[in-house]
Amino acid sequence: MYNVPTVRNTPTIRRLEGEHGSKQNRKHLELRFSRSQTHPPEDSPLTTLAVILPLALALVAAPLTALAGTIRTAWTAPVGVATAALAFAAVLWGWAFAGGGSVDFPWAPTWNLRLAFELDGLAALYAMLATGIGLAVVAYASKYLPLHLEHQNRPDTDIPRFHAFILMFMGSMVGLVMAQDLLLIFIFWDLTAIASYFLIAYDVHEEESRYSALMAMLVTGITAVLLLIGAMMLYVEYGTFLLPDLIETAEPGIYLTAAAAFMAIAGLAKSAQVPFHFWLPRAMAAPTPVSAYLHSAAMVAAGVFLIGRVYPLVQTSQFLLDALLVIGFASMVVGGILALSRDVLKQLLAYSTISQYGYVVFMFGLGGPYGAAAASFYVIAHALAKSALFLTAGAATESSGGETRLSHLGGMLRQQPLLAASSGAAAAGLAALPLTIGFFKDELFFEAALERGMPFPLLALFGAILTLTYMWRFWTGIFLGEERGESRPLPAAMLAPITILGVLTIVGGIFVAPFASLTEAAGMVSFNAETPISPAYHLDLRPVNLLALATFGLGALVIISRPLWAGAAGVFSRIGEVLGPQRWYDFSLTGLNKFSDRIHWLEVDTLRSRIVAILIPLGILVGAGLLVAAPAEAGIYSVGTVESADIPLIVALVLTAVAAVAATVPRNHLTLVLVLSASGFSLTAVYAFFGGPDVALVAVLVETILTILLLAVLALMPSAVLKRSETHGSTPGTKRRAYIVGGASAVVAFLGVWGALSRPTPEESVAAQHIELAPDAHANDIVTVILADFRGLDTLGEITVVGIALLGIAALLSRGRLW
Amino acid sequence: MTEPKTGSGAKGGATMTVMTQTIARILFLPALMTGIAVLIKGYADVGDGFNAGVIAGLAFLLQYVAFGYEEAREKLRTKYLPAIGFCGGLLLALLTAFVPLLLGKPIFTHSPAPGAEVIHIGTFELITAVAFDVGVFLMVFGFALGAIDIVARATSRNHAGGSAEEREAGT
Amino acid sequence: MTLLLSLAIAMLFGAGATLLMKSDLIRIVVGMVLISNAANLFIMASGLSRGFAPLYPLPEGALVSDPLVQAMTLTAIVIGFSITALLLAIAYRAYLDLDSVELDELEEAEEREESEQEKEWRPF
Repeated sequence: MYNVPTVRNTPTIRRLEGEHGSKQNRKHLELRFSRSQTHPPEDSPLTTLAVILPLALALVAAPLTALAGTIRTAWTAPVGVATAALAFAAVLWGWAFAGGGSVDFPWAPTWNLRLAFELDGLAALYAMLATGIGLAVVAYASKYLPLHLEHQNRPDTDIPRFHAFILMFMGSMVGLVMAQDLLLIFIFWDLTAIASYFLIAYDVHEEESRYSALMAMLVTGITAVLLLIGAMMLYVEYGTFLLPDLIETAEPGIYLTAAAAFMAIAGLAKSAQVPFHFWLPRAMAAPTPVSAYLHSAAMVAAGVFLIGRVYPLVQTSQFLLDALLVIGFASMVVGGILALSRDVLKQLLAYSTISQYGYVVFMFGLGGPYGAAAASFYVIAHALAKSALFLTAGAATESSGGETRLSHLGGMLRQQPLLAASSGAAAAGLAALPLTIGFFKDELFFEAALERGMPFPLLALFGAILTLTYMWRFWTGIFLGEERGESRPLPAAMLAPITILGVLTIVGGIFVAPFASLTEAAGMVSFNAETPISPAYHLDLRPVNLLALATFGLGALVIISRPLWAGAAGVFSRIGEVLGPQRWYDFSLTGLNKFSDRIHWLEVDTLRSRIVAILIPLGILVGAGLLVAAPAEAGIYSVGTVESADIPLIVALVLTAVAAVAATVPRNHLTLVLVLSASGFSLTAVYAFFGGPDVALVAVLVETILTILLLAVLALMPSAVLKRSETHGSTPGTKRRAYIVGGASAVVAFLGVWGALSRPTPEESVAAQHIELAPDAHANDIVTVILADFRGLDTLGEITVVGIALLGIAALLSRGRLW
Repeated sequence: MTEPKTGSGAKGGATMTVMTQTIARILFLPALMTGIAVLIKGYADVGDGFNAGVIAGLAFLLQYVAFGYEEAREKLRTKYLPAIGFCGGLLLALLTAFVPLLLGKPIFTHSPAPGAEVIHIGTFELITAVAFDVGVFLMVFGFALGAIDIVARATSRNHAGGSAEEREAGT
Repeated sequence: MTLLLSLAIAMLFGAGATLLMKSDLIRIVVGMVLISNAANLFIMASGLSRGFAPLYPLPEGALVSDPLVQAMTLTAIVIGFSITALLLAIAYRAYLDLDSVELDELEEAEEREESEQEKEWRPF
């Protein structure tokens, strides 16, 4: 049993192990592994370019394609394919020829944020998948999508949207895998979620699509917050978002475990592991190329990528590793069994994806160098095979004229030999038959399980048998059996990507070395130490081979005995539908909706309840403030002094207040407006007696315009309408309530205002400074200079409000036009 | 009908007399002059951009009240004035606020600096703060005229046609 | 004087709040005007000093009114004006669309429209 003792996990010790590993390992390394990440590449223009070029090309692909598509729809596909190809070539060049590299720019230095990207082994692996399979998918979609739209009677102008979002997905994946800063990772992580939302909901007219897209968005988006929380926890403790620094300094312990667990949950939800798996089969509502991309190289792969990226933090806790084991195994079994019971092609593949990424998580859980490296290798093998299989499903459906069910397909072998052969290679790859890259994925899988000891090899065996069985179902279901109807020929652009991916699966089964070295580089990033692997064919009876043979033997047995267990698998899936997590998702979603409705109606039932909802808390707050402050301010209420010069002011003040109170009485609107303007004009007199000529001038002018505007609006409304509102709803009860609310507000306002106005005048005041400084600002009018100079930014904000109000009026009354 | 009515909704509003129209015509330029004067003297005496903007708006309002929407709009060519005031004012204010940033100074650094010599044209001072004040003036004037214009248009439509047409035009 | 000012502000505010509780949109707008007047007067009254207008040349040794609160009140008045105009536009718009400026009637009309929309709406 492979245990990870905590002591071994301090970076220095792990690094020492890497440097002083066994002789055999070292030799092996020198042969196969030319780039050692323990010595980061020197900062040279070449290594900088190796990062910048792929990243930039991947990020501009989407905008360029969208632009080309807007100019002419027909340009979308060629530009999309070209940009994806360039990005793929750049990644390939950056890793294989320039040898990777890293860049690190300060971004927001005050918050310690950096634009840190590195093309390391892990990034190279996933970036190659994202761009390579992205290229295959975009090429395939260039023929598939017009057919898809034709079936739905949609215009060609919907094409650019598809390509742009697929390429945005690709760009954000490349950014995600290269980012070294947790906050950057979070940003690209959410970008992938946004891209996937639009892609899953591509058939917007279908309710199913919208529901599925929202579900995928919610499940991965809400868990993404956990990633942010984890990142924040680490930042608070260690003062940096940079992963390499965190891996160096983080101390194993409960705190680190919690942070790593949060980030791992985000990864698990994105790779659709139990119990978050329910969104993935739903996401099959998307067009086939999207599914192919989502499952093999983008969305779901991003989940396991994240676990691989933060794995040095995760593996400090044995508890987390055990949790990964449990979740991985559960996904493996649930996905596998459900895949056996599905009839719709894409559903079968979707559950198979859950099961396959269950393997990957299981291997991360097994731990040890084999676990970490095998997980990365598995991702490559799975991506090649699964994308080919999805594209096959789309091709089979297209060729049969829209049939998506396995039970209604069959016998396509004769009519589509090339498709059968290429997808056969891919299926064999997933089922781990010899001479495919898949054989090695299972070899490593078994090896990792054996390293850990019993009972893990048996669990692994169980998973492998499930895979073999449902792959058999998939392929034979389409291509063997009796022919069902005419099969239409397929365009070359749809067949070519499948064939190339199928061929790659076989090539990987024969020349495994390049894949293995990439895997070692990636595994080392995850494991933070060397992870030598040596996949090869051995013609002897070693345990790994025995397990593989057992898989084939028992798998054949299961396939033959299908009638015996088919019912049980159906029952299992039925139970999942009734009690599964999707029910909980729906339940909590509707529950939240209802709850928010309740709150909504509590507060905003009518305009009046809204006003009360503002006034009552205000009154309580002011009252509470008075109660708290009362002991300290006892005796502070001052009545103030009245001088003979104040008499005009007092007269104006009384007029203002009395007119205001009088405004609550009249029924007639005209009287109301006149009483209001009486109060307003008296108030301007108050301002004048206060020694504020500027204010008084503005107030009197504003009051004039306002009165005329009010009258004009009254003139616009028929008197019947106004009469109705005068009489309606003015029962004694409502009147009394209005006066009670008004009176209570007046009392609270009085206490608050009196308390505030009674405060003693401070010795030093800003106003006095302003008065002194005015001549320096070349001004005589101090108020003007405050407005235009001392507090100019305030004024700028205020005239902006005025402008927005004008736009609002224009929007309400003249369709937004100012002329 | 070019002569609007004031008063509350009913048909009994007073028709504008020749007297009112004459006085309004005579008052227009002086009112506008007052507004400009308040703006120009803003730094030296009572008043500022806000005041000036409202005064200028009021000068136009008088014409709208006296001559009605169509005629006032025709005579004074106010069609694009609110938009010009709005955009020009915002632009001018933003420029005076943010250009110092480009020169590496804090936002709203006015020039000439304290103590430096200022060019006077009468009471008018050539400083950037005054330019900002002009921006405020344009904005407030644009708002006042825009609000008046839009409401006056609704009023004139109300008088010209039935409620069906008006509702259609309003949406 | 402090007491008188506080009383006047409180009366303005109370009258405004009373009008806000009415079911007539025009009265609600008027209530908002009164409340913003109360706020303006409060800002003005919270000035630290009261005396001559803050204009140079200042009289020797005399008390000058607080210019800062005046500047604030000035902008507050203009903003209050623009907001009032916007509210009036909203009230007029409500009349155009729903043929009423009475809250209960508006609410009924709104509910009618909502239930019509709800008919076409299905949860998923």
